Amino acid sequence: MKVGRWKLLLPLALLAVGATIATSGALASSAQSSEVKFAIMTDCKGAFAFGYEVDTAGTIAALSQYAGAKPKNKKKPSAGMTGGKAGGKNLNLVGIGCGDETPALALKETRRLMVQLGADIMIGPLSGDEAVAIANWAKQNRSKTVIIGTAGSQDPTMQIAPKNVFRYHGDGAQWNAGLGEIVYKKLGWRTAALIGDDYSFPWTSAAGIIADFCGIGGKITKRVWTPPAGGDYAPFVRQLPRPNQVDGYFWLVGGANTATALTAFEQAYGPLKASQHSGNLFLYFLGANTTVAPRLVGSYVGGFGTFQTGGLKKAQARAYVKNASKWFTGQNVNDGFFYNYWNAAWAMVQGLNKSKGEVGVALQTRLPRTLKPGFQVANNGVLRLDSRRQAIQDQYQLQITKASGTGSVTTTIAGYVPNVDQTFGGYFGPNKPAPGRNFPPCVKKKLPWQGKVKVVKNGVITNQVIK
Amino acid sequence: MSIDTTKVLTERVIGVAALVLAVVAPALVSGFWLNSILTQALILGIAAMSLIFLSAYGGMISLAQTGLMGIAGYALANMVTQRVPGGETKGLLLGWDPTLALIAAILLTVAIGLAFGAVASRSFGIYFLMLTLTYTVIAYLFVGSVTLIGGFSPVAGVDRYTPGFIGDIAGDRERLYYITLITAVSVYVLVRYLVRTPFGISFQGIRDEPLRMASLGYNVALHRTLAFGIGAFIAALAGVLYAWWFGQLSPTTMGLDATIQLLVIAVIGGLRRIEGAWLGALAFLIINNEVTNRIPSSGLPVIGGTFNTVIGFIFLAIVIVSPDGLMGIWDRLWEMLRRRGGPTHAEPEGSEPAIVSS
Repeated sequence: MKVGRWKLLLPLALLAVGATIATSGALASSAQSSEVKFAIMTDCKGAFAFGYEVDTAGTIAALSQYAGAKPKNKKKPSAGMTGGKAGGKNLNLVGIGCGDETPALALKETRRLMVQLGADIMIGPLSGDEAVAIANWAKQNRSKTVIIGTAGSQDPTMQIAPKNVFRYHGDGAQWNAGLGEIVYKKLGWRTAALIGDDYSFPWTSAAGIIADFCGIGGKITKRVWTPPAGGDYAPFVRQLPRPNQVDGYFWLVGGANTATALTAFEQAYGPLKASQHSGNLFLYFLGANTTVAPRLVGSYVGGFGTFQTGGLKKAQARAYVKNASKWFTGQNVNDGFFYNYWNAAWAMVQGLNKSKGEVGVALQTRLPRTLKPGFQVANNGVLRLDSRRQAIQDQYQLQITKASGTGSVTTTIAGYVPNVDQTFGGYFGPNKPAPGRNFPPCVKKKLPWQGKVKVVKNGVITNQVIK
Repeated sequence: MSIDTTKVLTERVIGVAALVLAVVAPALVSGFWLNSILTQALILGIAAMSLIFLSAYGGMISLAQTGLMGIAGYALANMVTQRVPGGETKGLLLGWDPTLALIAAILLTVAIGLAFGAVASRSFGIYFLMLTLTYTVIAYLFVGSVTLIGGFSPVAGVDRYTPGFIGDIAGDRERLYYITLITAVSVYVLVRYLVRTPFGISFQGIRDEPLRMASLGYNVALHRTLAFGIGAFIAALAGVLYAWWFGQLSPTTMGLDATIQLLVIAVIGGLRRIEGAWLGALAFLIINNEVTNRIPSSGLPVIGGTFNTVIGFIFLAIVIVSPDGLMGIWDRLWEMLRRRGGPTHAEPEGSEPAIVSS
């Protein structure tokens, strides 16, 4: 074999450059004490890839509002921020984690951000199983503080619940409090089937729906679980009972796959009938209002992160929308992703101010146990954390509607449940199993808010209850 | 002294120097590099070694190694983790004695490997490749679909339940590093020994001339099955080490991405020499880590894409410049010296086995 000199020199040169870079990384110096290092953990791949800019925007907007930071680029949140001070120390955003909703990558990214890049605080992650993995990791890394961004699995603050993990929003079950009762009473559902992705967030969402719907007397006749990000939902929707065999369906398919799953349903059983579909039908995921969304006008939807609650007519909500809208162009501040990351970052600033910039346990003991976020109404607008550092929060349920004027599909607030706690009044608990494929069972049981879900009309919470 | 003898001696010196460096590494590098780069490189190197062993000495490019690694990890995780308040939430949580669980996990993996190998032993080339890929896909879907053993959510806490002779690796990562290093060296020595035994020689004969070996009376299928079992044993060691290192297991550990990753590591290191396993793993992790830290996730200027695009380009460049991976560059250097120095001499045993698979 004839060997060209370049063929040897080029790879050797590449190796030398690589080794130099690697060595500089391996021997990198440690943090300066005049700053607080923090990181954002979100997804840039998979079904929740759209969350990358939104989550970052929510975080940086809150830091701009409350800590004097400034976005580097108003159109591109991931460009980062300049400035920012809390507790007398400069805020240093060391990195933005790029997950794909899988626990393995979330954990690798967490280690990169918190161990290699030295972040003391992490805002995130975005997705349910990611939060389970990170909460397990946090249990063994007590000096690091995790403020969950917008993940909705129950386990991180219920069964695992390490003292350094905080969540200032509801889990998937809380986000569906009241939904089962609404479809039972307003649409007359008595039997329903549910279909969802086979991991912790849809399980938790389903748990809330089952507790609510079965609690008032409904029956779940079939539960179908699909491999996460499986892509092809046709075989799974075929396992559902036909539309004439049940009153309705609860959808718990994750992220951008919702529209794919609904399309597969239409191909199997014909056009969607809005009154037969409910659950995590988050409008954002429904093909930008052009495919299946128009056929769902009238459906009742879970309120993920008090999702799209911008129409709420309260001074606190209006102030939030005004403040949050200042920092980026093209961001929907009513989006649950933006809102939840905003609140997490705001809590971080409050905690650091109280701890005087100290991190670790000092920060964890001073992170706020109450917060006054935009869409909280009960307790004079104050959200509380429970003993496992999980939010007890107001919950809104939505209805898909047509916007007046443009005719595009949007949501309006239909129902309100104040002070929803993670245990559902003892239905769930740290010594009970985490939600799963078959847990909880469908049983009739009175929940604290049963018969008390309030009607919301034109953004105003009324004294009427859903009948 | 001939060029070839000099090469062998040089390699030995470099090998000893690398080993000494590896031993003193905890004093030289940061905690992150020790834990996330070096320890992981040793573990992935062991896994890649199982692939390169089958490939270099048997002409069997197996994509089942990630699946076997995952099976060992999942078996261990389900057997050792316990149901305690504030503890783990997924998996069988059997709470077995860690030593018993370790042995059982390895034996189970080897048994499954032998069964897989028996089925695949009569297949060659692309058929063997696809069959072994199927094994990994089956393992991935099995652990994902059976929520009793974990489902798609992570089975956590594996690193908290280790045998007494392993000790506390959750709190002492240096200990885990040295355990991994000892295992890696042992596996290297084991394979170097195995390929010189009568079994190893006949296995290489089967790689080069399976029909001739069969006509000479050798049981080709049995040899290939046993070799697959040995590969499964090495992959099982990587699997339990990975479970201890990562602390949690989810199906993506043995997903398609992980399978391709292991193949890329083996190709970057060089599919013809077992030393390439660790070189490939180290290069893969360093490139991944450095590029991820330095390149934004949100779109590169001009070409678009993310850090993954850059990583892809770098791996492409390595394979184009040196089809035999990084070890190939080394061999090419000596080839150049040999040409300058005169006629070639006999090559040392095992240095450049041809990959023949038909």
